[in-house]
Amino acid sequence: MFRSNSSGSDSGDECPSQIQSQAIKRTMSRTRTTSTSEKDCNIHIKGSKTIYTAGRPPWYDSAGQMKEALVVGLCGGSASGKTTVAKRIIEELNVQWVSLLSMDSFYKVLSEEQHELANKNEYDFDHPDAFDFDLIIKTIKELKKGKQVHIPVYSFTTHSRESRTKTVYGANVVIFEGIMAFCSKELVDLMDIKIFVDTDADIRLARRLKRDISERGRSIDSVIAQYNKYVKPSFEYYIAPTMAYADIIVPRGGDNSIAIDLIVKHVHRELNIRGGKLRSDLAFKPNHKAGEPLPCSLHQLEETKQTRFMHTIIRNKDTPRDEFIFYSNRLMRVLIEHALSLLPFEDVIVTTTFNKQYEGKRHANAKVCGVSILRAGECLEPALCEVYKDAVIGKILIQTNEMTSEPELHYLRLPSDIKNMIVLLMDATLATGAAAMMAIRVLLDHSVEEKNIILVSLLMAEQGVHNVAYAFPKVRIVTTAVDPELNDSCYIMPGMGNFGDRYFGTEKDEF
Amino acid sequence: MKEPDLISDMKESQQQQQHQVQQTKPIFTLGTKTDSTSKLIDLANLKLTNKISVLKCNNQIKELHTVLRDCETSHSDFKFYSDRLIRLLVEEGLNELPYTECKVQTPSGCYYDGVKYISGVCGVSIMRSGEAMEKGLRECCRSIRIGKILIQTADEDTNKSSVIYAKFPKDVATRKIMLMYPIITSGSTVILAIKVLKEHNVSEKNILVLCLFSTPSGLQSISSQYPDINILTSEIHPFVPTDFGQRYFGTE
Repeated sequence: MFRSNSSGSDSGDECPSQIQSQAIKRTMSRTRTTSTSEKDCNIHIKGSKTIYTAGRPPWYDSAGQMKEALVVGLCGGSASGKTTVAKRIIEELNVQWVSLLSMDSFYKVLSEEQHELANKNEYDFDHPDAFDFDLIIKTIKELKKGKQVHIPVYSFTTHSRESRTKTVYGANVVIFEGIMAFCSKELVDLMDIKIFVDTDADIRLARRLKRDISERGRSIDSVIAQYNKYVKPSFEYYIAPTMAYADIIVPRGGDNSIAIDLIVKHVHRELNIRGGKLRSDLAFKPNHKAGEPLPCSLHQLEETKQTRFMHTIIRNKDTPRDEFIFYSNRLMRVLIEHALSLLPFEDVIVTTTFNKQYEGKRHANAKVCGVSILRAGECLEPALCEVYKDAVIGKILIQTNEMTSEPELHYLRLPSDIKNMIVLLMDATLATGAAAMMAIRVLLDHSVEEKNIILVSLLMAEQGVHNVAYAFPKVRIVTTAVDPELNDSCYIMPGMGNFGDRYFGTEKDEF
Repeated sequence: MKEPDLISDMKESQQQQQHQVQQTKPIFTLGTKTDSTSKLIDLANLKLTNKISVLKCNNQIKELHTVLRDCETSHSDFKFYSDRLIRLLVEEGLNELPYTECKVQTPSGCYYDGVKYISGVCGVSIMRSGEAMEKGLRECCRSIRIGKILIQTADEDTNKSSVIYAKFPKDVATRKIMLMYPIITSGSTVILAIKVLKEHNVSEKNILVLCLFSTPSGLQSISSQYPDINILTSEIHPFVPTDFGQRYFGTE
């Protein structure tokens, strides 16, 4: 099963999504038929599984470098069953974070004249010129690099793009389908697997007739006229010849279980090659030598008696929760104050109440966004808001998959203009650094500059500090203490236990 | 872990403290005096003892000073940024309290070499401005005892400050005192407060003055009169925002 963008896509909620031509379903005034069926929205959920059951496994290696997303191209004539094949692949694939992109989102904006023609059923939507190939190529390139992209929402009523866009982020597999999917050499080169769905012309015509007449109330004459005028020639001139580009040709469309099984196996094999054991790499295959000095991107809070005193209480396993919360809050406040001193400042001269000039400093116009890594990172939010009134808060949920021990991305909500902000990335503790690295990767994918990220944690393990600094040397790392070791279960030693459980009182062995 | 000032059995704690006093001398070891501070003081041609220290300045703290000095700052901002600066000052001041080493076990079964504070601390605020600092102290030490001194500052008629009211915990003489007053201009108010504390048998070296803004001359007059007093301030500058109380409480 996989995640979908089923709601609130234009409000900046960035569940990785399938882009479907839902607009078409809303605006039936357009006469051209499309290959979208009414059942599309059900494909997000397989069986009883819900959206948040599994997150996105790492899509980068232990050096923070990206692994490219796998792009599957699906081409075929109109009503050949491309969408059914895509749906079947997604169902059988059963991996997370698949995005389905339809070429229908990329129709060109029509001029007034063309718009008139379209209304009279005289505009050729089955011609390569009807699509914005530059935008398609740009979008697929960005998706391949793991970047966040904005997909236009095409309105078939006005034949232009709506002001809102769909945000797609975080696809490990991108499935791109469309009648002209193989019509551009540059686009084809971006595809890792190219599939052509070959269905006989009479079957395609029969499907079109059935769909347009029974579901859309059109007359048999007009459907046949359109088929003869545009659909058929287009298939012969532009679509059929591109079959030569295909790696796999699937006869009979979605009913062809053997073909789909082969495709799915191939995709799995490709994904396995890309995958790795990130957390164990981070913990046991260090990128740094033993005894190497801590990196210069680490800004550790000067140890004072007070910080040691607070650590003593927080680390003590017998500390009651009341005191644990009080002293960790106090320590967080000191930590955040320290982190804020790393923001850019500029010199200013202010006039004091007694009309004297005072040479001081002010924040250099920086917008600060706190991003907490759920759940434990949330504990730092109040500390940030206490000292920085205008802070915007984003959230990222990363959980460890207990089967694979890998971190997985489950949810994120970030402010839309985050790329211009300075981000305080907050987590209570940092062990291997796997979760923090995933969060940093998410921020970079959202075009936040690496030098504008400040990673803040109460306690870090030396190993984790090295891992983060090696992968992301410009990220500044702020903490109150660095512990020397990790144990076999990747816990910090001596550490402070599971911070989230102790703070929220969800320890397993408690009554 | 008990709060520094929380101990039920007073007698026992007193004995412990006295014992501790003999062991760790001086009680307040102030070693955070920065180079820039000494330069500032040199500039002002002052002779200050090493009992005076300044909050280690960074850009963030400089900004807090800037906001508090700016005459354009609104009442709510003034209060917000004052509270932040006070909190930092209190956190730093608490480092000067006597402590002992201890070992605790962490949930993962390892041991951590920690520290533990010795009980017997008391905050004393000089009303009214000093009360603004109680919140910061209370946020760090939830159940600390707080004494108060109300001093009528010198006005044109009398030209002399006078103590109107003073109330301390009964064992104040045995405690370490954090004396809170945000502004030291001439130093006369703080000097008077110290005098009151001494009348209650508090030893000079057990007093730490926490102060936001201070003038070189004010600091000098305090330390020349009471050479054993410890002072922690966030900034030494010839001009200080003397209207702190009015702006904090909004009674301009």
